[in-house]
Amino acid sequence: MKPLHLNLAARPYRDYRPVYAAVVVLSLLTAFLMLQNIDTYYRYVHETQATRAKIAQVEEQTRVETEKEELARNRLKGLDLARLDEQTRFINAKLAERAFSWSKLLDGLESILADDVRLMTVTPGFSEDGRIQLALNFQSKSADGMLTTINRMNSDPHFQDAFPSSESVDDAGIYTFDLSAKYLPGAVRETSIEPVSGVAR
Amino acid sequence: MIWREKRILLSILGLLLLGNIVFFLTYRVQYQSRLDEMDERLAQAQGQLDKTKRQRADAEMSLAAYRKVERDVQLVYDETWSTQPKRLTAMIGEVKRLAIASNAVPRTLSFGTAKAEDKTSSTRRLQGIGAREVSISFSVQATYEQVRRMINLLELSNQFVIIDQIALSEADPTKLTLTLRIKTLFRDEPAPAGGNTL
Repeated sequence: MKPLHLNLAARPYRDYRPVYAAVVVLSLLTAFLMLQNIDTYYRYVHETQATRAKIAQVEEQTRVETEKEELARNRLKGLDLARLDEQTRFINAKLAERAFSWSKLLDGLESILADDVRLMTVTPGFSEDGRIQLALNFQSKSADGMLTTINRMNSDPHFQDAFPSSESVDDAGIYTFDLSAKYLPGAVRETSIEPVSGVAR
Repeated sequence: MIWREKRILLSILGLLLLGNIVFFLTYRVQYQSRLDEMDERLAQAQGQLDKTKRQRADAEMSLAAYRKVERDVQLVYDETWSTQPKRLTAMIGEVKRLAIASNAVPRTLSFGTAKAEDKTSSTRRLQGIGAREVSISFSVQATYEQVRRMINLLELSNQFVIIDQIALSEADPTKLTLTLRIKTLFRDEPAPAGGNTL
């Protein structure tokens, strides 16, 4: 007798257990990771909140500082620096002339003059770099008056580069000669105004 | 076959897992480096702020320096030099007073601005500077000590007087003739508004 195999299933039988197992495992893993990630995200947001606020504050300060800097630079651009610089140099030159001590110069000249040499005129010239150039006119009763004067000037630290420009003698035997020399006085009496050359950048 | 039937569910789960793994690896594993990165951003922002502050301070210092120099220049122009109508007589008076004080009263006084046609030689308008230079020459007969005293008094005077040139000649065995050229500066007066002329 042949055994009877009855299949009463509505559809073919399949074993889905591995699939369900995989779904469960995947779901559990995903849930676990998601929880970890949410925790991480909140912790990150919370822990960096102060830093992010600080960054925003610093960036705002930077913006304000930049605006102030631009304002100052724009103001500087609108200023006539060249004219003020020119005025400052002019004033400083005049202050230097005013500060120039004739008394000291005359003391210095007295100390170098020989007995037979007489100072007739002296005119100082002031250069922008503060150097003083003297134009001097002398009279002498002796022929070597000019040489003596130059030698004495060269040996005095207050005078430099003494150089003759002319010498003449009249019928009475009086020698007249002109010299130029750099004069190095000691100290300046009045203060000067700081030039504005370094202001503009 | 069974996997294929559930592929949609499995794909969704797989994508969710992959996304979480990526997030996990990016944030959780590199959590400290993220924090460090944030600190680095803060440091960079702070550095930028410091740099901007320095630049602003430099610009404002330059501006302040300009203002200070401008004030100093204005002080010299307004107070020290002043204008010719305000200070000229005071300066001449001072020169005369000092001459009397040094017992060396000038015989002649010549003022550069006395003659209009001689203006260019004695009064020099300094273009663009806003000042006028006036020179005064005079001669005195005095002993050398009196000459020195007069020069010293001029140097110490409160008036802004510059001794421009000194010339000496022998008047007699005891006295010298001193020719002195002094100069001073006056601020230009502002041009009158309207400009009515006669």
